[in-house]
Amino acid sequence: MILKPLVGILDDIGGGLLFMWDLLKTAFRSPCERKTLLEQIYQVSMQSLVTTASSGFFVGAILSVQFNIQLKEFSALSVLGGLATSGTIRELGPLLIAFMLSGKVGAYTSAELGIMRVTEQIDAMRCLGTNPMQHLILPRFIGIIVSSFFLLLAGLLMSVLGGAVMAALVADMNLMEYISGIPTFVTWGSVLNGLFKCCMFSILLAAICTYKGYTTTGGAKGVGRTVIATALSTMVGIVLMDWFTSYLSRNLFSVIGVGSV
Amino acid sequence: MSLEIKNLKKKFGERTVLDGISFIIPPGDILFILGTSGTGKSVLLKNIVGLLKPDGGEIWLDGEEISRLSEEDYFLIRKKCGMVFQHPALFDSLTILENVAFGLRRHYPNLTEEEIRTRVKKFLSLVNISDVEEKLPQQISYGMQKRVSLARTVAIEPKVLLFDEPTTGLDPVTTNAINQLIKNLSRTLKTTSIVVSHDMHCALDIADKIVVLDKGKVVEFGTPAELKKSKVKLVQDFLAEVH
Repeated sequence: MILKPLVGILDDIGGGLLFMWDLLKTAFRSPCERKTLLEQIYQVSMQSLVTTASSGFFVGAILSVQFNIQLKEFSALSVLGGLATSGTIRELGPLLIAFMLSGKVGAYTSAELGIMRVTEQIDAMRCLGTNPMQHLILPRFIGIIVSSFFLLLAGLLMSVLGGAVMAALVADMNLMEYISGIPTFVTWGSVLNGLFKCCMFSILLAAICTYKGYTTTGGAKGVGRTVIATALSTMVGIVLMDWFTSYLSRNLFSVIGVGSV
Repeated sequence: MSLEIKNLKKKFGERTVLDGISFIIPPGDILFILGTSGTGKSVLLKNIVGLLKPDGGEIWLDGEEISRLSEEDYFLIRKKCGMVFQHPALFDSLTILENVAFGLRRHYPNLTEEEIRTRVKKFLSLVNISDVEEKLPQQISYGMQKRVSLARTVAIEPKVLLFDEPTTGLDPVTTNAINQLIKNLSRTLKTTSIVVSHDMHCALDIADKIVVLDKGKVVEFGTPAELKKSKVKLVQDFLAEVH
């Protein structure tokens, strides 16, 4: 009883790793067309820009309110902007982007590929002389990773704005006061840490949703199962990856000596 | 172009789907594969075109053994051997023109845009379709989608055509039209054709040879006239539906 799901998980991990190996070989042997890739980057970015930016705004606002309560007690409101922005850039920003992408792009990509699989479009593509790994998977995979950086940037800018607006409302701080505290806390180390996390989360998300979609079986029900499995796997995977990257970056960046993380 | 299947075997887990299938199709013939659902008919076609790898046996296409080729080497085989799927399998985001041109762009990279457009129109007219080039697949009927799918496959001018239940889900009138289209295309383009079907009536009408599969084995093989005299229970059941 316990063994069956465990075997299923191991089977998925093994299949996913072989899929990634195939994708890596395809990337070096026959890279995807630039036009298709740009289309994917545009599509993924546009799909999630509004939700990511608005979520970023409110995350900044929430952090600002929460830190305001704590910092007021110590009369240290001057560091409010720095703390809120640092928290967003190091942890909440990448995590937020990953969850947003998981809900929108992950589900969309796995469903799209799943439908193409069950309606034999992927088989037809192979029969017409095109490698689906090159034409379908690679542009989506790279598209998700590249877009996540644009979205992270948009989310961060909006979180600073959200934080500043809230700071003005609850702590009577003006924008310049809020921003002036940022360089104290946001170091190159925390920027690298955020980028590293963002990169790892998006690789994981892109791998899971493309693999799940590509290996869909069982008609319409199968596509439904794929979307659920993608949502579940990406959520759990992102949280596990967050723990792993936090641990790794803490040691890695201190070894290479890149500021405080 | 001749096609020979020798002792072909395929398993999925513990389930044996093809259990030593063997037959030969001479160039230009139309072969029908009949059998109840789940007897391995579609799996057989997918093995021929390299979408699945057999566990045993050989597939000879025009004197070349193709069952052990790599995915890259199958590129040329798929130019010679086109497959029409059970679903129309048209690409949703591409127009009808782009769908039919899809294989042409890969297999004939030197064609100009004008030549591609001319070829697309020619093959669409072969399947009795016109003025839909700029439409998306979801804007035309299911029967038309099936015919566009047929045009997309024959556009790369394969020498062997594989049809996987081409009339499933169609009304009787469209079914008849598609069957006649298969016959005319095979004769006009001089292709060797394999049609997977449940339709004995159509098989008797247009096939040169018929294979009947049951539980992954060939239980009958012959011309329509020979099949009519068969003593095999499954064949008699199929024939009973015709009468």
